[in-house]
Amino acid sequence: MIPLQISPFQYVVNGVVFSSIIVLAAIGLSLVYSIADFANFAHGDLMTVGAFSALFSVSFLQPALGDAGVFGLPLWFFLALAFGMLAAAVIAVVTDRIIYKPMKGSGSIGLLITSIGVALVYRAMVFLSFGSDSERYGVTRQGPIPWVRESFGVAVTPRNLVVVGLATVLVVGLHLTLTRTTLGRKMRATADNADLARISGIRTREVIIAMWLIGGALAAAGGVFLGLEELVRPRMGFDILLIVFAAVILGGIGSVYGAMLGGLVIGMVHELVPLFNQWGIIPVGSRYAAAVAFVIMVAILLVRPSGIVGESG
Amino acid sequence: MSVATWVNETVVRDKTERRIFATLGLITVLLVVGVVTGVVGLSFLLFQISLVGMYALLSLGLNVQWGYAGLINFSVAAFWGLGAYCAALLTAPNSPLGLGLHPVFGFLAAIVVSALVAILIGIPTLRLREDYLAIASLGLAEVIRLIILNERQWTAGSSGISGIPALIPWLPLTRLATTASVVVVLGILIYLFLRRTHRSPWGRVLRTIRSDEDLAKALGKDTYQFKMQAFVIGSVIMAVAGAFYAHLNLYIDPSDLVPLTTFYIWIAVILGGTGSNRGAVVGAAVVIAIREGTRFLNDVPAIGSLGLDVAPLRLLFVGVLIILIMRYRQDGLLPPKDELIWPAAKDTGTAPSGGSPKPQTGGDD
Repeated sequence: MIPLQISPFQYVVNGVVFSSIIVLAAIGLSLVYSIADFANFAHGDLMTVGAFSALFSVSFLQPALGDAGVFGLPLWFFLALAFGMLAAAVIAVVTDRIIYKPMKGSGSIGLLITSIGVALVYRAMVFLSFGSDSERYGVTRQGPIPWVRESFGVAVTPRNLVVVGLATVLVVGLHLTLTRTTLGRKMRATADNADLARISGIRTREVIIAMWLIGGALAAAGGVFLGLEELVRPRMGFDILLIVFAAVILGGIGSVYGAMLGGLVIGMVHELVPLFNQWGIIPVGSRYAAAVAFVIMVAILLVRPSGIVGESG
Repeated sequence: MSVATWVNETVVRDKTERRIFATLGLITVLLVVGVVTGVVGLSFLLFQISLVGMYALLSLGLNVQWGYAGLINFSVAAFWGLGAYCAALLTAPNSPLGLGLHPVFGFLAAIVVSALVAILIGIPTLRLREDYLAIASLGLAEVIRLIILNERQWTAGSSGISGIPALIPWLPLTRLATTASVVVVLGILIYLFLRRTHRSPWGRVLRTIRSDEDLAKALGKDTYQFKMQAFVIGSVIMAVAGAFYAHLNLYIDPSDLVPLTTFYIWIAVILGGTGSNRGAVVGAAVVIAIREGTRFLNDVPAIGSLGLDVAPLRLLFVGVLIILIMRYRQDGLLPPKDELIWPAAKDTGTAPSGGSPKPQTGGDD
C-alpha cells in the first residue's frame, strides 16, 4: 500500500541524501576559503564540470563494461564517478595555476570577482561541449527497497544508499587525511596561519595544490550525486552554490568540520521545508526551500558572524 | 574658454583617456554615418542608446555602492527588477493589479519600494564583512526573484507582464526617440548629482570608509549610516533604471532577474574604472557593445557551420573578460583622478597650472 500522506520520515530520508551532496560541496568551498582565503564563486560550476566529465566518460565506459554492477548500480557508474572526480581535480589545479596563482596580490575581493569570471567560463565550456539540455546518467531506475518501505513506510532506493554511503566514505577519508597524515597537518597549519606555516618550513604551494585536488574531487562527487538524484544540467552547480555557501557560513567559514555540520543542517532544512509548512512553523512551501536556506544564512551571520563552529569575533 | 579646452580640462585627463575618447568618438561618427546611409536602422540605434543609458544608470548606481563606499552588492538585478516590476504592475492595464496608472506613479513606486527594500536588506547585511555581504546580497536577490516567480497572483509569475504603456505619448517623437531622450536626460541629471555628491564632504567620508573603515570610525563617523545611505541611493538609481526598462521593452518577466545581469553591471563598473562616474558610463557602453555585438556572431558562417550556439560563446566571452580585467587592468579604462578634488581647492594647490595634481585613486584595496 502506498500511503496517501507522505510520511515525515520520507522528508528526513530526502534530507539525508541532499545533505550528503551539500556536505561534499561545502567541504571544498570551505577549504578554499580557509587556505586560499577567498569566496570561490566558481565552486558550484566546478561541480557541474565534474558531473559532465562523468557523463562524458559514461559514453565509453558503459559499452566497455556492460551492465554488471554492485550495490544496485552498474560498475561503470562508479568508474564514471572516479573519472569525474579526477577531471574536476585536475581542472581545479590548472585553473589555480594559470588564473588564481598569478593574482596573489589582488586580495580576496579581486579573487572573488575573478572567480565569477572563472564560473562563467566553466559553464560556457559545459554548454559548448554538451549543449543546454538536461541529461541523465542512464542508470536504470530502481524502485524503493521493499522491506524498508513495508516496515517504515518510507521509500529508500539503492541509489540513495550508495550516495549517502560513498559521501560518508569520502568525508571519513578526508577526516583521516587531515588528522593522521603529514599532509593533513600541513593543511591545517596553513589554514590557521599561512605566513606562520611558511616560515615554519611548510611548502604552502604543495598544500594549495592538495587543497584544489581535494576540493575539486569532492565538488565533482557532489555534482555527480546531484546529477544521479536529479538531472545533469549546465546550471546545476550554480543553482546550488548559494545553498552551499549557506552551509559553509552556518558552519563557520574555513572550518572543514563546520562545513560538514553546516551542510547537514542546511541540507535537512532544505528538504524539511514542506514538513515545517505542514506543521505551521513556516508559512512557505517547498518552492521557497532555497529562500529559507538563504534567510537562515543571513540570520546566522547576524547573530554569529563567524558561524556556529567558528571562533567568535 | 573654448569648448576644446573645457572638454580637455573636465573630461579628458591624459593620453590613454584621449585615445579612449577618440575611439568612442569614432564609433559615434561611424554610427551616425551608418544611420545616414541606411546601413543602421534609426530605431535600432535609438534602442541601443536607450539600453546604454539604462546600463549607465545601473553602473552609476553600483558605482555609488562599490566605487564610493566599497560595498559588494550582488543584488543589482534584483533592484533593477523591483523597479521594472513596480512600473509594470502599476501602469500596465492587464497586470494582475490592473491599475493602469500614469508612468509617473510607476517611477515613484520604484523609488519608494527600492528604498524600503534596500533598508531592509541593508540592516542585516551592511555590518557584515565585505565578502559576506557579497554572498548575502546574492542570496537575498534570489529570494526576491523567487517571490516574483512564485507569487503569480500579484506578479503574473513566469508568464510576465505585457502591455506596459509608452512614456510621454504627447511628445512629437517616435516612441523609441522619446524613451532614448528620457534616459539621456535622466542619465545626465543623475550623473551631475553623483559627481556633486562625490566631491562633497559626504563623498569624502565614503572614500575614507572604502579605503580604511577603522580610520573613518576613529574620526568619529558613523560608518554604518554612511554605508546605508550609499546603499539606498545606489539601489534607488538601479530601480529607476528598471522602471525605465519596463517602458522601453514594454514587457518584463522574471528571467531578466538572473544573477548574470548583475555580473554584466559589475564588468561595466570595474572596466570603466571603479569609483569613476565617467568610467561607469563608458563601461556601460562597452558592455552593451559586447552584448549586442555578439548577437551578430550567429550570422558569421564559421560559427553557424560549427553548429555553435551564440549564448554560451557570449558567456565564455564575458567570463574571460572578467578574468582579464581583474588580472591586467584592475584600474579600469578611466580610473578616478583629480575630478575628485573640489575645483576651488585645486586652484590654491601647489600643482603648476596645466599639470594635474597627484592622481588620487578611489582607494583600491
